[in-house]
Amino acid sequence: MGTFIQQVFNGLTVGGIYALIALGYTMVYGVMRLINFAHGDLCILGAFVGLTLLTGAAGSGHSGAVLLLAAFVLAVVVIAAAGVVLELVAYRPLRKADRLSAVVSALGASLLIENSIMLIWGPDVHVFPGDLLPATTWTVAGASITFVQVMIILASVLLMAALYLFIHHTRFGTAIRATAIDQDTARLMGIKVNRVILTVFVIGPALGAIGGLFVGIYYREAYFTMGWTYGLYAFIAAILGGIGNIPGAMLGGVLLGLFNAFAAGYISSSWQDAITFALLIAILLVRPTGLLGEPDAGKV
Amino acid sequence: MPGISPSRSAPKSPARASRALWPLLWVAGLTVPAVLDSSWVSIAAMFAIYAVSALSEDVILGRGGMFDMGHAVYFGVGAYATAILNTSFGWPILATLPAAVLLAAAAGALLAGPLTRLRGDYLLVATIGFNSIFVLTMQNDPGGVTGGSDGITGIGVPSLFGFPLASQSAMFWLDWVVLGIVLLLMRNLDRSEFGRAQRYLKQDELAAGTLGVDARKVKTQAFALGAGLAGLAGTLFAVQLSTVSPASFVFTESVTLFAVVIVGGPGSVPGVLLGTALMFVVPQIFRDFAQYRYFVFGIAMIAVMVLRPQGLWPQRRRRA
Repeated sequence: MGTFIQQVFNGLTVGGIYALIALGYTMVYGVMRLINFAHGDLCILGAFVGLTLLTGAAGSGHSGAVLLLAAFVLAVVVIAAAGVVLELVAYRPLRKADRLSAVVSALGASLLIENSIMLIWGPDVHVFPGDLLPATTWTVAGASITFVQVMIILASVLLMAALYLFIHHTRFGTAIRATAIDQDTARLMGIKVNRVILTVFVIGPALGAIGGLFVGIYYREAYFTMGWTYGLYAFIAAILGGIGNIPGAMLGGVLLGLFNAFAAGYISSSWQDAITFALLIAILLVRPTGLLGEPDAGKV
Repeated sequence: MPGISPSRSAPKSPARASRALWPLLWVAGLTVPAVLDSSWVSIAAMFAIYAVSALSEDVILGRGGMFDMGHAVYFGVGAYATAILNTSFGWPILATLPAAVLLAAAAGALLAGPLTRLRGDYLLVATIGFNSIFVLTMQNDPGGVTGGSDGITGIGVPSLFGFPLASQSAMFWLDWVVLGIVLLLMRNLDRSEFGRAQRYLKQDELAAGTLGVDARKVKTQAFALGAGLAGLAGTLFAVQLSTVSPASFVFTESVTLFAVVIVGGPGSVPGVLLGTALMFVVPQIFRDFAQYRYFVFGIAMIAVMVLRPQGLWPQRRRRA
């Protein structure tokens, strides 16, 4: 029983992180039908920006909590700005072009960001400081749950709830949903579609930066290809839930986190990615647009 | 959908002139070993191999309109087929070639089963998944035949009528001849029933269906043909390097092939060749700046797409 509870908490922690990152993929897909391949790299760029502040201010005498808060704020601001630049430079000019052109532009942006990280911070693995947060551990039914885990789970739940309220209970949220359903009609109804898309490129990367910093804090490391590793899992989570669907990304993230946590005990780690992908493909064959995705009308 | 109505064909005479130009360029290419030094010969050989590979991706992505982002799988199946049959079973290289093509084509047709049920971006995701599964399988070395992460070394040299094609020039000529054959095939593909059906399907699947085009069949054939040609390139690749390892067939390679087609011009043979030259050959020349390679790639991919979304050398519009 102890190990079961333990795996549930491990799974929820990782699932919360996946969900935060997956939201960026799914929101962008929702409003512009584009897989933003650069999103995972943006998130890890966030981790590096936060890490730089943490290591730079290590001897400044501020408490760990203050430093951490500052790191999150800085990462969110920088990455949201990077998201806006990405949209303006790499995606907006391609709004009317063939979808594949935007996909290649996104792949180019991914390579650009990943290798910028490598050129700035070097190819080595960076270690996150471990003394920022209390090392408190609670024992629940034989499972030990750390302070970091509780913080990540709570923060993910709060952020997702806030996003859900914003999307479903504000005028701007309604505009985002309308744009996702039909851009042209939304424009005719007086919605400023470009502003909606720009907002999505603020919210998605901002949440992603928080997710990226959580990755760094939880695993206590950061390296330049990490955007691909964790971005891919978050991306699978988004597809699993039905890309374009916000509750779907949350559900997909949590399910994938739990699956990974439980699979870790039974499946050799060298096959884990293969089995995750096989599972994803199998689910797509049964539900071709993911768990909560709306059925494809047929004509794209 | 942009460009759904085919514009009138371009003026006839320049088109005819360019048609005569291509065979001449190919013949001129044969003289590479005579006029350039050995490092250029091997770059030209790699160009030919990757060009075949990129043209095979074009059959599925550019002409078929299916977002295949796992094409390195078929390239890898061909390369591994040659490597295993040659080193473990002692087959001569040229005898492994048809086996590699058939195995890769079979892999393509097999994966097309689930893939053609999916659409657009979901198909793309599934191909990424198959690529990842393939690489992990090769790394984990089931049955002890793939050599794990280190791969397989010591692949032999091909011999023709008893003469070993051991020299760099001889291998280049082999690659170049194969490229020539594939170019002829692509030219005929444009005019074949299959090529027309593909163009029609890509423009309007519903309308094509009502006129009796069997979408599943044409898509499966596209995967089989594209995969088979990639397998052919895989054999040449294994011979050229005399070693294969999982790292040569990872997702990044698939992304590069995908980008070559879209950056060059989907469905356009000169476009794909130009894309191949830019994405595979230019990095060989600037090897000293290897760590900036992908950084520059990234910028170039964005810049080309923003400035020329239709590709550097787009396909001429023709009537379906």
